[in-house]
Amino acid sequence: MKQKKKRAMEKNLEKQYFVMVLPGMVIFTIGLIVPMFMAFRYSFTSWDGMTAEKPFVGLQNYIDLLHDADFRAAWWFTLKFTVCNTIIQNVLALVFAVALDSGIKAQKLYRTAFFIPCLISSLIVGFVWLKMFSNVLPALNDLLGTNFNFLLLGDGKTVLSGLLIANNWQWIGYWMLIYLAGLQSIPAELHEAAKVDGANALTRFIHVTIPMLAPAITICVVGITTGSLKVYDLLVSSTKGGPGRASTSIIYQTYATAINGRQYGYGSAMSVTLVFVLLLVALIQVKGLKSREVQQ
Amino acid sequence: MKRKTIDILLAAVMTAASVTGCGGSGSGAESEPAAAQTESASEEGGGQTEADVSEPVTLTVLAGQSTTDAGIEDMIDEALAEQYPNITLEWECVDWGNDFQPKMQQYMQSGLPDIMIGKAQDVATYAPQGILGEIDSTYLDRGLDAARENVTIDGKTYGLVYNALYQGVYYNKTMFAENGWEIPKTQEDLQAIIDDCKAKGITPFASHMVDTWSIGNVTMQFMMNDVFNNDPEWGDKFRAGEVSFSEDQAAQTAYQYNKLIFDNTYPETFSTEQTDCDAKMVLGEAAMKVSGSWSIQNFLDIDESFDFGIFPFPNQTGDSKLIFEPNITVMTSAQSEHQDAINCVLDVLTGNQELATEIYDYTKTASMLKDVTPTFANPSQSDIDSYASDGMIVDVTLGNNQLVWGGFQEENAKDIAAWLQGDITFEDALAASDARVDASSAN
Repeated sequence: MKQKKKRAMEKNLEKQYFVMVLPGMVIFTIGLIVPMFMAFRYSFTSWDGMTAEKPFVGLQNYIDLLHDADFRAAWWFTLKFTVCNTIIQNVLALVFAVALDSGIKAQKLYRTAFFIPCLISSLIVGFVWLKMFSNVLPALNDLLGTNFNFLLLGDGKTVLSGLLIANNWQWIGYWMLIYLAGLQSIPAELHEAAKVDGANALTRFIHVTIPMLAPAITICVVGITTGSLKVYDLLVSSTKGGPGRASTSIIYQTYATAINGRQYGYGSAMSVTLVFVLLLVALIQVKGLKSREVQQ
Repeated sequence: MKRKTIDILLAAVMTAASVTGCGGSGSGAESEPAAAQTESASEEGGGQTEADVSEPVTLTVLAGQSTTDAGIEDMIDEALAEQYPNITLEWECVDWGNDFQPKMQQYMQSGLPDIMIGKAQDVATYAPQGILGEIDSTYLDRGLDAARENVTIDGKTYGLVYNALYQGVYYNKTMFAENGWEIPKTQEDLQAIIDDCKAKGITPFASHMVDTWSIGNVTMQFMMNDVFNNDPEWGDKFRAGEVSFSEDQAAQTAYQYNKLIFDNTYPETFSTEQTDCDAKMVLGEAAMKVSGSWSIQNFLDIDESFDFGIFPFPNQTGDSKLIFEPNITVMTSAQSEHQDAINCVLDVLTGNQELATEIYDYTKTASMLKDVTPTFANPSQSDIDSYASDGMIVDVTLGNNQLVWGGFQEENAKDIAAWLQGDITFEDALAASDARVDASSAN
């Protein structure tokens, strides 16, 4: 009797879960899964995005991608941007979070100041930093009589640095808050016990703080990596993928090819490679970082 | 079990999506792309659909705007409200260079807006798809005959050209007079001015290469005078494999002019935007700027007394022509149910001289309507008139139809920028243009 009741309750719960999940699943399917499969289908065609005909070309688009220097250059830039961003943003966000968690004065003011940039659209951030690098900072040079090269976005050799500055300025505050929340959730007893055992501040940070922050690290690393792989809007308003092709990301290249270049099929093949890499990276990171969480 | 059911459901949805998503041979009229539907509708021509404009009508408008155009939609709305209060325009204004084509691609799948505003070269791209309506001759006759040439296909005119831009080298008249420089006709003349500029510490050219479109634009100016003026079918020959950038000396020379500009402009050109560049020109920090009428708005906004002129960028043979570009071009949907209302809008645009003058004065562009002359003081007008009277003006639509902007000129400009930056060799840039041959034509 009890068993029956339990089973009925479980069934009821399952139904409720299903009903609750259904709207999200429908939206997700229509907005993401269906277009993804459509893109996959288009990637086997030479469709120009305008005509009714979508000639099937098999794997030709993927074969062409292997010989496409612009495509390779776009991936190379995207990978450099992603690796640098993931390292810099995580380290600085953690450093700022630890600093704010140490009980410094005006903590709320700093927290707000760091967080505000992430409320601004990346398009605006790109435009602001373009002006900063090309107008505001060179004017400071004139004022101070110095000769620093602030024209970072105007040179293929320095454009990555300029974009990293802009992107980190925008997002460090956001990830810092996640680390801060993680830090504040670490029980004080753990630190006290480590102190009693004679651990100094650095040892406590490495052996207590970092392991306890593992879930936050997983969120931040995966979030920053996937976000960086998808960089587009920052580029549109700052460098437009240039100078030349020096800051053309894979999404920028895909858009330029599929839409402006009227090669929808070929562009779809590019986007399929991005989806594949995104899934792979997220899978590896989540698996790797989650296993660390369990070990701790 | 439940999970299995959901899995099966999801898989079914995805499979159905991938099968129907491509939908190339879908027979349903409603799901068929606009491109495939409109042949019969376009045959009906303008003014066939009976729409009652005595009833309120809202027309959708996709406006692909140049930098000078933002704001003219309010002027048109105001004039329309006075003449045809029942017609309302629902505007979607986008940047022509970056967003017009993507928007058109989107609407070709979901249904076109009633009115589209682009450039004359768009007619060659979209009219062959059968999606554009023919413009009624009542309105075309109010425009200059020269406006029709590049928007007419097989005897049918699909675009109403409303204004025009001129492109060439804008020069600081005061600076030229003070230094005793004559208008250069040959490359040697130009080089002499550049050398004198350098000797006197003057930057010869203002330029803004952070905008790829700027490099693409000036390259087409160079191509017009060194390539297309001699061979108007160069693009067709390029696609036929008869000529190429890697082998054609004239095309290479046109690319090389970018290096001439780059070597004789300020070092921060790849960090400079158009507004800042125009300001430098007005403030006397540079003597010349290869540009178009879109700069006039900035020139006069910064200093309304700035005295400037225009000349065509000298080519190898010394017979360069000033570039003329039909700009705002009104196109209509062949599928629209509101043809009468569309005609009312065309009536306002072509018949309301006060509105036309207001728009020309605001955009600082030239009129393409009969009997309408802008009233703003354009210091370069005397130069334009002089080239026009000598027959030394050429329509750039020819070049833009031969080698399209999106996917070709635009991409080539990125390679030219990469070459100027030293990231690739000149030969690489030429080879990249050659490799892009399939994207060089709209159709």
